[in-house]
Amino acid sequence: MSKDSEVIVRTEHLTKRFGNLVAVEDLNLEIHQGEVFGFLGPNGAGKTTTIGMMLGLIEPTAGRVEVFGLDVRNNLASILPRVGVLMENPSFYPYLSAWDNLHLFARVTGGVTNDRIKQVLELVELSGRAGDKSKIYSQGMKQRLGIACALLHDPEFIILDEPTTGLDPAGLKEIRDLIIGLGQEGKTIFLSSHRLHEVEQVCEHVAIIQQGRMIAQGMMKDLLKRGGMLQLRVTEPDRAMAVLREQSWISPLTREGDLLLLGVSAERAAEVSALLAENGIFVSEMKTREDTLESFFLEMTGEGG
Amino acid sequence: MTELIRVELFKLRKRGMTWILLAVLVAFFCMIFLGMYAAAGSAPHGMPGAGLEALKASLQFPNAFDTIFSTAQGIGGILLVILAASAVGSEYGWGTVRQMLSKRGIRSHYLGAKIVSLIIIALIGIVISLIVGFALASFTTIQLAGSINWDFMSASYVGELFKMFGWTAYALLVYILLGVLFAVVGRSALVGIAVGLGYYFVELIAIGIFTGAGGWLAEIPNYLIGQNINALMPGNQLGGPFMATSTLPSVLHASVTLAVYCLVFLALSLYLFKKRDITA
Repeated sequence: MSKDSEVIVRTEHLTKRFGNLVAVEDLNLEIHQGEVFGFLGPNGAGKTTTIGMMLGLIEPTAGRVEVFGLDVRNNLASILPRVGVLMENPSFYPYLSAWDNLHLFARVTGGVTNDRIKQVLELVELSGRAGDKSKIYSQGMKQRLGIACALLHDPEFIILDEPTTGLDPAGLKEIRDLIIGLGQEGKTIFLSSHRLHEVEQVCEHVAIIQQGRMIAQGMMKDLLKRGGMLQLRVTEPDRAMAVLREQSWISPLTREGDLLLLGVSAERAAEVSALLAENGIFVSEMKTREDTLESFFLEMTGEGG
Repeated sequence: MTELIRVELFKLRKRGMTWILLAVLVAFFCMIFLGMYAAAGSAPHGMPGAGLEALKASLQFPNAFDTIFSTAQGIGGILLVILAASAVGSEYGWGTVRQMLSKRGIRSHYLGAKIVSLIIIALIGIVISLIVGFALASFTTIQLAGSINWDFMSASYVGELFKMFGWTAYALLVYILLGVLFAVVGRSALVGIAVGLGYYFVELIAIGIFTGAGGWLAEIPNYLIGQNINALMPGNQLGGPFMATSTLPSVLHASVTLAVYCLVFLALSLYLFKKRDITA
């Protein structure tokens, strides 16, 4: 997505403290129109607090949030009709049916027809249970109802906070496909999750947050490349290890059986090959191994052991 | 805002608690009227003749209207504290306040719509009280006097009835705002109900203690909610079930004092609701 496209969300030095607890600190985010943006972090990292500040539910201690170019503090009435939100553990009126709940939220938002309610219920496969009271819904069904509620008014910008909580594998796939489909329709999606696999599969852009601080941000493919490794198969692995260990620019250096893994960029592959050849070691196989988001995330958050 | 009020009324209409509280209101009306009628018929031991006559009069038209409004205010106040605190506090418990505000972010509109919908329910409650009370009072009047004499029903008396309706609604507004305030403060229905009802009953005891103490302490009840409501409600002064216990302030004093309570409760509720973060 071009950086020239409209900025949907911009946070500047966004900070939130609850007493002595720093929930979010100096967060600078930019989400552009049409992006499927992954917001990744372990539980308690400050993801939901950030969303709360985007929606005016939580007042920032410092910094500011702009949505659609408008300051959230003073423009909620203009911003919220263009935003659809699935909250973490979505809540509904337990004594109302799914239909009544959606009907109620449709009236609050305005401009939603009964046909649209039927349409979103079909989309999340709850049409058959629309008359049941939401209090008897399972977590997964509530999650689906929450997604239906977020999409009711066909918003331009969709915030999904842990959308797959409580879903079975089939449900996970459906929601993943739904997010991809919405992205293809040109919707801007902010997907907050601690499920790396989920984010990796659907997001083009990602930001990683830990203890309220941003620790990485960028295009998914660039971030993964940044954490990539050069993988070699050589004739004499022991001697190759000894030669490579003397080079300070190669780090880390590990061995997995016959394979050597070198922490160098793909651009320096020729240099590595020449170095080994000078020492009479021949490379039989060489390729770059892209990191998975999971290993990158664990490396960045220091949770990889 | 109008749509929000409709939404709040929809929630109240669909909620079982509203109908249960309405049933409780009707049941209390029956218990009070039939209980008083039984007491009047059996002439309780030790009751002076004047007391018995006052009791009988309160069950017959036109005085029965005072009893109806007094009962509507007394029972209605308790029930509305419960309903108001539940309507506001349950939204915190269910997490729906977050959902509502993420759809429509203007918090004063949201809380304002809740309060207006509760006032509408209170007005409906008074009308239902009038209907039920009228039926019961017709029965007791016929039983005690043989027939109903409608001679008292002049244009000025109808005006008086409207005035009593207005005072009853005004008195109930204070309790609605009391329940809303403490539900907002505690972010919970339970806290709103407990503190709201606690205040209601503690005040009854406090009025007795301060009045008994005499001196400047006896002036304090004139600035409490209950005593000022009693000053507005004729039924609370003339032998109704929620009888006043001491000299009452003037109607002007009462209406101004209650207006101050309403404004303070409303301002505090709105301030806290707008200022606090919605985290759950």
